[in-house]
Amino acid sequence: MTDTQWPRYMVFQQEGPDQPVVHNGTVHAPDAELAMLNARDVFVRRPEAVALWVVPADAIFTQTQEELAKNELAGEASGYRVEYYVFGKFAQQAQCRQIGQVAASSPQTAVQAAIAAFPDQQPLWWWVLPISAVRKSESTQAESMFLAARYKTFKDQAEYPVVSMMRQLRDKGKLG
Amino acid sequence: MYGADVEQIAIQLNEDPQKLADFEARIARGEKIEPGDWMPAEYRRQLIRMISQHAHSEVVGMLPEGAWITKAPSLRRKLILLAKVQDEAGHGQYLYHAAETLGATREEMLDALLDGKAKYSSIFNYHTTTWADNGAIGWLVDGAAILNQTMLARCSYGPYSRAMVRICMEENFHRKQGQEMIILYSQGTPAQRAMVQDAITRWWWPTLMMFGPHDADSPNSGVLIRWGIKTRTNDELRQEFINQLVPDLQACGIVLPDPDLHYDEASKNWRTGPIDWDEFWAVLKGNGPANAERMAARRQAHADGQWVREAAAAYAAKSQIQ
Repeated sequence: MTDTQWPRYMVFQQEGPDQPVVHNGTVHAPDAELAMLNARDVFVRRPEAVALWVVPADAIFTQTQEELAKNELAGEASGYRVEYYVFGKFAQQAQCRQIGQVAASSPQTAVQAAIAAFPDQQPLWWWVLPISAVRKSESTQAESMFLAARYKTFKDQAEYPVVSMMRQLRDKGKLG
Repeated sequence: MYGADVEQIAIQLNEDPQKLADFEARIARGEKIEPGDWMPAEYRRQLIRMISQHAHSEVVGMLPEGAWITKAPSLRRKLILLAKVQDEAGHGQYLYHAAETLGATREEMLDALLDGKAKYSSIFNYHTTTWADNGAIGWLVDGAAILNQTMLARCSYGPYSRAMVRICMEENFHRKQGQEMIILYSQGTPAQRAMVQDAITRWWWPTLMMFGPHDADSPNSGVLIRWGIKTRTNDELRQEFINQLVPDLQACGIVLPDPDLHYDEASKNWRTGPIDWDEFWAVLKGNGPANAERMAARRQAHADGQWVREAAAAYAAKSQIQ
């Protein structure tokens, strides 16, 4: 299968200032800048975001509990350490969410560092991604990117009181 | 075949019996199957078929309503319709992404659609001839889609199920804006009432066909239900839809185009007359009222976007050099 597609970017979204960053889906784009614009169009058509991240899909390293149980623990190699964001998926239906960050010299050792740093977390799988691979929405652009959706209340199903409208119709029918 | 035990099925599908048994046990425990997990080739094939058809339906589904954006009767209705059509584009994206997690590429899925090889929901091959059709599509067509999608939100494949949860939330806005429109017009001027009656008359039967053939004639249902992709049959979903819609449409004073429609006290179900399956198969095979027009519009849109894709790729290449 020849792959002439644009690269895949993972999209992460933060719904409120006190909410964790969660994985939402993917977009295809020729570069991170357009990935960000695509992500905004696809995932933020409703007022549920204060920040968006896009990360090249191949920059994310995944380790499941099953894989961890099988693998021998890799020791921390001596080498140049960089910062990684740590994510975990905690339930079958849940989205992967941010746990914290660690410094490590490889993705494999970053997972080990995460297990040591967050002993009370037991995700079904871990994701680690180098902070340098993440492109984040600019806080100065948050208003133009996310605020407009807040006033489009007609996208909310609660705007349409069809249940009470039907009840009124039936009551009218009974009287008539 | 799919009522058979796991060993027989493993032989027929040429799968490892132990792996297949473990896989089916996971589904029985209510676990979600995720992209990297082992799955039978037939499970993967069926999911790619369903999810890509579903994605195509969202994309082609933009066309019948999109035609009315410039003709909406008020600014409010125009904003609603714009947002709705934009949602359908987004739903297509979520679904293509879900299919990609199974190894299908965007390119081959789009090619299959543009070459006329891929199916999409037959309902979008009917014309929207009056403004009230947008209300009928919202209440009937999106209402029928929601029943199917609510079931799929519980399906055994994780990415498909998560995409469906999101889509269902947004589709409820689509359904309710349509229902609101039909209720209001059904109580409006004589011209509005006639327009609504005409729209429901034309969309009623095609909507009932959306649930697919009767269970006895539905070749994929067995395996889809066995592996937790579908948890209810076409006829079950169709009956639930009919039971929901008939009393509400009648309360609006709308007459349904079915002389055989009656309430069956014994089963507490509304019973319709026979569905014209010849029409269903004809539309599905490409001979519906608008098939050619829809495909022409899709190909045109794809061709019109070519320069945008080229420009974006050239810009990315240039930025990398700098």
